[in-house]
Amino acid sequence: MKKILAWMLAAMMVLGCGAAMADTFVHGIDPEYDPFSYMGPDGEYTGFDVEIARAACEVAGLDYEIFPVNWDTKEVQLDAHECDVIWSGMTIKQSMIDAGYVISAPYYDSTQVLVVRADSDIKSSADLAGKIVAVQLGTSGEDLLHGELADLTATFQELVTTENFLTAFTNLEGNAVDAVFVDLPVADKYAKEHDTVTILDEELGKEQYGLLFRAEDQELCAKIEAAVQTLVENGTYAEIAAKYPSIENNLLFLQAK
Amino acid sequence: MTLTTMFLKMGEGFGKTCAIFFLTLLFSLPLGMLVALLRMSRNRLVSALTRGVISILRGTPLMLQLLAVTYGPYYLFGISVSRNKLIPVVTAFAINYAAYFAEIYRGGIESMPVGQYEAAQVLGYTRKQTFLRIILPQVIKRILPSVTNEVVTLVKDTSMAFTVSYQEMFTIGKQIANSQTSFIPFLVAGLFYYVFNLLVDFAMGRVEKRLSYYR
Amino acid sequence: MKKLLEINHSRKSFGDLEVLKDISLSVEESQVLSIIGPSGSGKSTLLRCATLLETLDGGELIYDGVHAARDEGGRAVYAPPAELRKVRNMFGLVFQNFNLFPHYSVLKNVMEAPILVQKRDRKEVEEEARDLLAQMGLADRADAYPFQLSGGQQQRVSIARALAMNPKVLFFDEPTSALDPELTGDILRVIRALAEKKMTMVIVTHEMAFARDVSDYVVFMNEGVIVEQGDPREVIDHPTQERTIQFLRRLTEG
Repeated sequence: MKKILAWMLAAMMVLGCGAAMADTFVHGIDPEYDPFSYMGPDGEYTGFDVEIARAACEVAGLDYEIFPVNWDTKEVQLDAHECDVIWSGMTIKQSMIDAGYVISAPYYDSTQVLVVRADSDIKSSADLAGKIVAVQLGTSGEDLLHGELADLTATFQELVTTENFLTAFTNLEGNAVDAVFVDLPVADKYAKEHDTVTILDEELGKEQYGLLFRAEDQELCAKIEAAVQTLVENGTYAEIAAKYPSIENNLLFLQAK
Repeated sequence: MTLTTMFLKMGEGFGKTCAIFFLTLLFSLPLGMLVALLRMSRNRLVSALTRGVISILRGTPLMLQLLAVTYGPYYLFGISVSRNKLIPVVTAFAINYAAYFAEIYRGGIESMPVGQYEAAQVLGYTRKQTFLRIILPQVIKRILPSVTNEVVTLVKDTSMAFTVSYQEMFTIGKQIANSQTSFIPFLVAGLFYYVFNLLVDFAMGRVEKRLSYYR
Repeated sequence: MKKLLEINHSRKSFGDLEVLKDISLSVEESQVLSIIGPSGSGKSTLLRCATLLETLDGGELIYDGVHAARDEGGRAVYAPPAELRKVRNMFGLVFQNFNLFPHYSVLKNVMEAPILVQKRDRKEVEEEARDLLAQMGLADRADAYPFQLSGGQQQRVSIARALAMNPKVLFFDEPTSALDPELTGDILRVIRALAEKKMTMVIVTHEMAFARDVSDYVVFMNEGVIVEQGDPREVIDHPTQERTIQFLRRLTEG
């Protein structure tokens, strides 16, 4: 039913505003959020979200353009029309809903985990008392540690915020911190490439990813959602997802199928 | 990613870094002089206002000023922000550096012995002639070391442009470092900055030498 | 004799301190006038007012018939800028500390003002400048920079710089007091030579012997007033006023 509605909406939009067809869809990404959006080996931006967005635009008949934002000011940049969407492994937050932004249906379930050195005696979050924990600045993990998990944070000797997750892991391997609090997919990828670290089997705080649009862009959101549904149905979505095994299992549209 | 691609990509960013650097100097060096003159104005109001502005520009983070210049017009007047960030970035940098240069100029001008003004006045030089021919050339020599310091700082400050997602070299470097889980791009960036600063030092050294014919 | 400079009833205060109290004096063409007196007597202020580096509170300042300042109801009212430019062109000033332009060569120090301010022909000015430097014994230092010269040489350049403007009156503000004693002779010789050429000069100085020797007229100032004036031999050798006697005795004893 929802799908039909979305299709109808999309059709209406195509008929209703022909001019919009020639519009460029500017995709705002965090250029440092592997595997959702990052700079590929050829120096061009790629990632799961980038590939899906590009394909969705093709379906919706929009010109596609990519624009790397500063993650700390992404809302400002969206407001100022620098881009038309923030779509880059973005955690849906209550504050965004409160601020009146249009948010798509969630497409990804992200979980925060703890990464420790392989030889560490830390086995669960309970062992973190008196330890130094690192988290990436401006990530949902950081919000979590200051919000919902503030009681846990209070037991740390220190919470270190790093500019990016790479620094966090380097600090971990260099014994400067005892644990890194990070998104599961990021942890997965790093742990696969580096056997010096291991992921604790404890899920801390669930969160979901979605697309962020300006308040007035209800129609655009619907159009993109419809296009993505088309991709899900014709198998393109699964095909692209297969290239990103570390996140494949958390994709909600594939689970629903 | 091959090293060639990395260098190409970062070289592209370096072009943008250079654009910030040279355009900022081009505008802030003369703008700083204007600000210094306003700051030293005999009109108390003008002087106090200018002092206030300088104090704000020197007392708040450049990052904040970048955001204010880039997004202020949108929030205040609804003017859309162009995705070419060079204009707001250079504007913010030029204004910020003008404030620093203004104080350096002022220090230099105020350190000039009053006898130089009096000698020129008695000889019949106009105020403008006195400033341009007698005072300014000597001030430039006096302030050159401080200016060199600021210029070197500017080279490193260009990386601040990432705040408004202007894709200069360090921003690109961070993106590559992220996707390659490697620190090499940071080393490359460090190398670029260092070589750039060597050139700046060399150039400023040449200028200092050219002005060393008198004491 | 034509009066080149007249100062009438001049008054000047810095805050509550009255530095010039109703001073009047005049300088005739070809006259050499020396102003002597203890420090704080107001002699330097008088010279700075005469050269327009300071403004008078009251009184008149007249150069060769042109009013730089006229007295209106006890207040000194200065002429418009264009008029003052003309007046500035009539005198030169040699500073105690030379105040040469350090970034200019000796020759450029001497040449620039005549070319820039008086709009004279460069070639003619250069010829004259080199001639002046030769008179000062500095013909071979034209391309040197001030920092390469001794104090006495710098002071001679600054005299050449003032003379290049062809002033009607040349002021000296203690021209030898920043110099080593053995170098003062050079400067005094130059001033004497100028006196022989009938240059009109006003000299603020500490050198009593020189003042007596070279000047036609001496003014002794103390606490903002002229205490005694007249022929140098009279004033310096046979002072009549108690203050003058004290001052001269202290100098000879010191």
